[in-house]
Amino acid sequence: MLRLRILLPLLLLAGCSKGPGADLQYIKQARSLGAEWALVNEQANKGQVTKTYAASMHQWLRDNLQTTQSSLTQPDSRYGSEIHALLAQPDDAAPDELRSHVEVLKHIEDGLESA
Amino acid sequence: MNPLELTLGIMTAVGGFVDISELVFAAKAGSMFGYALIWVFFVATVGIMVFGEMSGRVAAVARQPVFNLMRHRLGLKLGLVTLFASLVSTLITCAAEIGGMGLILNYLTGLPYLVLAALSGLVLMASMWILPFKWIERTYGLLGLLMIVFAVSLVAIDPPWDRLAGGFVPQVPHGLSTKELLAFAYFTVAILSAVMFPYESYFYSSGGIEEQWGPKDLLTNRVTTTIGFGLGSLLAVSILASSAQLFGPANVGPEIPGSAALEAAIPFGPTGLLLALLGMLFAVAGAAVETCMANAYAIAQFFGWEWGRHKKPWEAPRFTIAWIALFLLALLIVMTGIEVMSLVEYAVLFSIVVLPLTYLPLMLLAGDKGFMREYANKWLAKGLGWLFFAVVTAAAIAAIPLYLLTSGGQG
Repeated sequence: MLRLRILLPLLLLAGCSKGPGADLQYIKQARSLGAEWALVNEQANKGQVTKTYAASMHQWLRDNLQTTQSSLTQPDSRYGSEIHALLAQPDDAAPDELRSHVEVLKHIEDGLESA
Repeated sequence: MNPLELTLGIMTAVGGFVDISELVFAAKAGSMFGYALIWVFFVATVGIMVFGEMSGRVAAVARQPVFNLMRHRLGLKLGLVTLFASLVSTLITCAAEIGGMGLILNYLTGLPYLVLAALSGLVLMASMWILPFKWIERTYGLLGLLMIVFAVSLVAIDPPWDRLAGGFVPQVPHGLSTKELLAFAYFTVAILSAVMFPYESYFYSSGGIEEQWGPKDLLTNRVTTTIGFGLGSLLAVSILASSAQLFGPANVGPEIPGSAALEAAIPFGPTGLLLALLGMLFAVAGAAVETCMANAYAIAQFFGWEWGRHKKPWEAPRFTIAWIALFLLALLIVMTGIEVMSLVEYAVLFSIVVLPLTYLPLMLLAGDKGFMREYANKWLAKGLGWLFFAVVTAAAIAAIPLYLLTSGGQG
């Protein structure tokens, strides 16, 4: 019973919260998607992956990033702008350019996690 | 014991071990927690060895498939609940596998995902109609052996082997925040579920009956479940370890199943990528067939219908209609456009809840000397069986709260 009393509010909080805390999962997803994109482009530049694979991955990564962006409770935030900036990149963007956005998102993510 | 048959059986078990859920969770676990979750794969593999061996032994000695036992041991009401829950979990798993095939074919060809998923479903159904049971199992299992490229890639990137070996020791990493600890717990539960999916024992024991196993096949059963599953699990561990080495430091927490193929592309280029994608494709296709057939076996066995792929389709008409309908239903789920990653998460969640109800009746029957005579569970099987029953029960209780608290492992 005691466990239920502790667990229920936590579950409710997990389901109903808003703001940067609630967006943390989407920030993490966007950071990871951006990093995957950079890795795919890095390998594509080295000729390690096929063009078809790279093109398909770009499509999926972009779709997922868009879903992540639309899930944000605060799209006008700094992390919202970073995700928007990531989405504005061309498919064959330079890995370093993509990683610069990933770094910013990671920094925001770390800050929220330690808060 | 025919050595060729035994070798083929082991190879089939190795190639058929990994499915879409293991691919996804192994890659994510490695990137998020380094080598710290390898021990969970190890423990879960011992678990599936224990219950797989038991289900094969019961099939060989008592000639009883799992769902027949379930109805007798759990009673009609609880049996029906278990049947319904396992049908839902296995159907979602089947949909995830078909969706996974569509995705992998999309990485290979660039053609539209939904078209490829539909084509995959139709090809699988045709292969199930045409091929005899043994060749359905072997075709996909043996082609799934292309996944060995993940183990070779791991050797090629030369990870810190001492740290990797340390991952086999049960541990919780130091210095994790509460959220990270919850995510670690969620991944522990998810990996247990993905490795010990209930459909595996339904399919394996029904397969034993399809192939008319008897007590003479018990050694084959034991060797296949221990060596075959053990080696198969090493492929999943290879994916996890490569992910720890390549993805974690690059901030990649693979959000897309196709990312795992990069593990082979990085050391071996387009050839490695192609082998990885083809291996993934056949492994996932094999799992799609197994899940669909496991569900049809479950329904037919529960209601006492004629069943089996050793019969002509019209000799077991309700069984045949069941597997076709289940395949079409899984395909319909994919066609709704739901994401494969979501399907994988739901499959893992539903399955862990069903696991205790699947394994309890199996364990009770395998230990019943009236049925099993001198082949009943001895002290080791009994001890391990109860230990793993306790583990999966605890995991089943924790699964849904952990999923909600961690937003599906995001922390």
